[in-house]
Amino acid sequence: MVCARMVKHLRLPLLLLLLALAAECNSMSKPGKPDKLGCRSPDKETFFCWWTPGSGGGLPTVHRLYYKTEGRETVRQCPDYHTAHSCFFSKTYTSIWVEYTVIVEASNALGNTSSDPLTFDLMDIVKPYAPENVTLVVSIGDNPHLTIQWHTPSNIDTKSGWVTLKNQLRIKLEKSKIWKNYTSDTQTHFTIYNIELGVVYMVEVRCAIDNSAWSEWTNTTFVKVPNFPRTDNSFWILVFSLSLIPLLVAMIILILKRKTVKKYILPPVPGPKIRGVDVQLLKSGRSEDVINAMLLNQRFPVVMPWKDQNEDYLIVSDKETSYLPLEKNKIFILPVAITLDSEVQSKETSEVDRFLKDSESSSEESSEKTKSSQLLTKCPSTNVLNDEKANQLKGVTEKIIQPFGISGYVDIPRHEHTQEADYSRVNEVNSDNILITKKENVPHTLDTQGQEGGVLDDYSRVKEVNSDNTVFLEKHSDSVNASIRAKGYIDWVNQKAKSPHVTGHSEMGVCPQLVGCGYVDTFPPPAVI
Amino acid sequence: KSTQFFSVVSVALLCLVFCSQPTSLDAAPLCTNAEAGCHVLSLANLFDRVIQHSARMHGISNDLHSEFELYFLPSKNQIGRVSRNCHTSNILTPNGKENAQRMAREELTEVILKLLVAWRDPLWHFHQSMTHFHDFIDFSSNKSLKMSDMVHELRKGVQKVVEKMQMLGILSNSVSSLMSPEAFLASGSAEWRLMKDYELLYCFRRDSNKVQNYLKILKCRIVPEDGC
Repeated sequence: MVCARMVKHLRLPLLLLLLALAAECNSMSKPGKPDKLGCRSPDKETFFCWWTPGSGGGLPTVHRLYYKTEGRETVRQCPDYHTAHSCFFSKTYTSIWVEYTVIVEASNALGNTSSDPLTFDLMDIVKPYAPENVTLVVSIGDNPHLTIQWHTPSNIDTKSGWVTLKNQLRIKLEKSKIWKNYTSDTQTHFTIYNIELGVVYMVEVRCAIDNSAWSEWTNTTFVKVPNFPRTDNSFWILVFSLSLIPLLVAMIILILKRKTVKKYILPPVPGPKIRGVDVQLLKSGRSEDVINAMLLNQRFPVVMPWKDQNEDYLIVSDKETSYLPLEKNKIFILPVAITLDSEVQSKETSEVDRFLKDSESSSEESSEKTKSSQLLTKCPSTNVLNDEKANQLKGVTEKIIQPFGISGYVDIPRHEHTQEADYSRVNEVNSDNILITKKENVPHTLDTQGQEGGVLDDYSRVKEVNSDNTVFLEKHSDSVNASIRAKGYIDWVNQKAKSPHVTGHSEMGVCPQLVGCGYVDTFPPPAVI
Repeated sequence: KSTQFFSVVSVALLCLVFCSQPTSLDAAPLCTNAEAGCHVLSLANLFDRVIQHSARMHGISNDLHSEFELYFLPSKNQIGRVSRNCHTSNILTPNGKENAQRMAREELTEVILKLLVAWRDPLWHFHQSMTHFHDFIDFSSNKSLKMSDMVHELRKGVQKVVEKMQMLGILSNSVSSLMSPEAFLASGSAEWRLMKDYELLYCFRRDSNKVQNYLKILKCRIVPEDGC
């Protein structure tokens, strides 16, 4: 009976002991302090608050939110705990420009724990949600651009003017790390030009109400810009390729006809060449060949044989007895040629060369001869006779330099007494090509007789020249043959006279002005220029 | 050298003539009866201007308030915070969108004007007191002066809007009593002198936000064009 009473008395403390033991095992205590209290208004008309509960306490805890507004002293509890650990204030419970003080209390069986109070004005906690429905459109064409469009968050009322939204977007290349920001005030679209082709772009958008905090960025939207070839390129490629074809054709033609083209552009310059001379032969260097080539193959101009010519050419410089009805200043030069034997003729070529070199040669005879030979071919422009020779001749008073106006040969009646002096027989020609004349009286008559006879035979004295430029010859009665010859001569002359071209024609070899009364050459007139 | 000098002088003179035109926010005066030479603005345009002006004013007040808080009161969320007893508390202002929309145009306009009138003197006084704080001057002396000027300009702008509205018949003539000079003298209750600077800044920041929002609501109710 005593034990039963003891147990009764001990029941309560035992229970308490058990409870204490149990409590110690589970560390039960007052609830932990709620933490990180925050509130946010996404639309400037409502707001909500949230918190994180404190650590355990072990016992089931209940969290309550209490708030107080400025001007009212009553503390009210959260009107709507619609999610765990958050409180939503609807429009009826929301006032702007009013300061709220919010506190969260966690309570369990053992006690209560309150969080720190939070004081705010609605305009300070405005933070909208991110924009919605971001769409990207790539536009192809001349100016490829990217158009970005989005919608404002659905809970925001923009019609009343209560909320003014501003937007911000950022874009970057997929591989890049740097974002590029653009601001669009109230527009819900944006266009970006100068985009690259064939790359992937990432775009994000966010918004803000008035001057409040920015919303979160939207989820990244990707867009791939196609690497399209520009339509213009194909056109230009076509044009370019078409223009290449005629170029190629021209090139082919040029290459095929390169020789002709080369001839046209760079006409061949004739190399130095001597007719009859083989360049290759000369290159071989054999002197015999060279000489043969140079000398034998050359064709020198034909030189009239000297031996047939007995004419003397006198320098007509006499002003008084001038056969030439010309100006007094004009004087004709007729070189004096001395007839030589054929010995000298072999030296012709060399002398011709020498004459070609010097206008005044040391050898009188050679110069005269060459000059006369020159005269036979053509009339040289100048003739210069040295003074010595000029003085030797009678009737010569001056040195004459005169270009031939009319070329021809005129025979001038020889002074009889000079006949002997005019002829000299060449004795020999020494090595220096000097003709040594023998001072002897050449039986001139013999030679000359024959010649003279020939002369007499061949020559007739001109009687007169009438106005028609007809030459009338005088019959030579001295010589027997002369008459015959003269006759023949006259015939010749008459024949000549018949031909129409005689009159006034200088081809006769007779310069009409020259012929006054003199001898007319029976020889066929030399080639006269 | 003389020609250069003369050209410079002539350019300077021309500049003085043409550049000396004062530029102000309401450079184009409202014309009654469309007088010749006046630039007539539409009501929507006027509203936009005053709204922009109020937005700028609120921005400056916001900056000033946060600077002040940073400088003088580093610790936030103090339990023993100063009570918010703004001198404009007695003006009944709608505290939400619906309340503002439900209020009559004339009432709303009156509220705006009352607020603007009530802040002219305090802000001027605040600017004067700020000149003694040399540290603060370096930061914000321009802003306080600008703020007091802006309040003054905004009030004039809103008055012009009201006049236009009354001319157009949108608004009744009951608002005109507020704009008389007597009203300014009557609002000379010196409650604001008891306020401390920080409280003053806080109160003005709130009231400038109110003005901005009320103007926006009013605009979208009266001229609901783009921007609403």
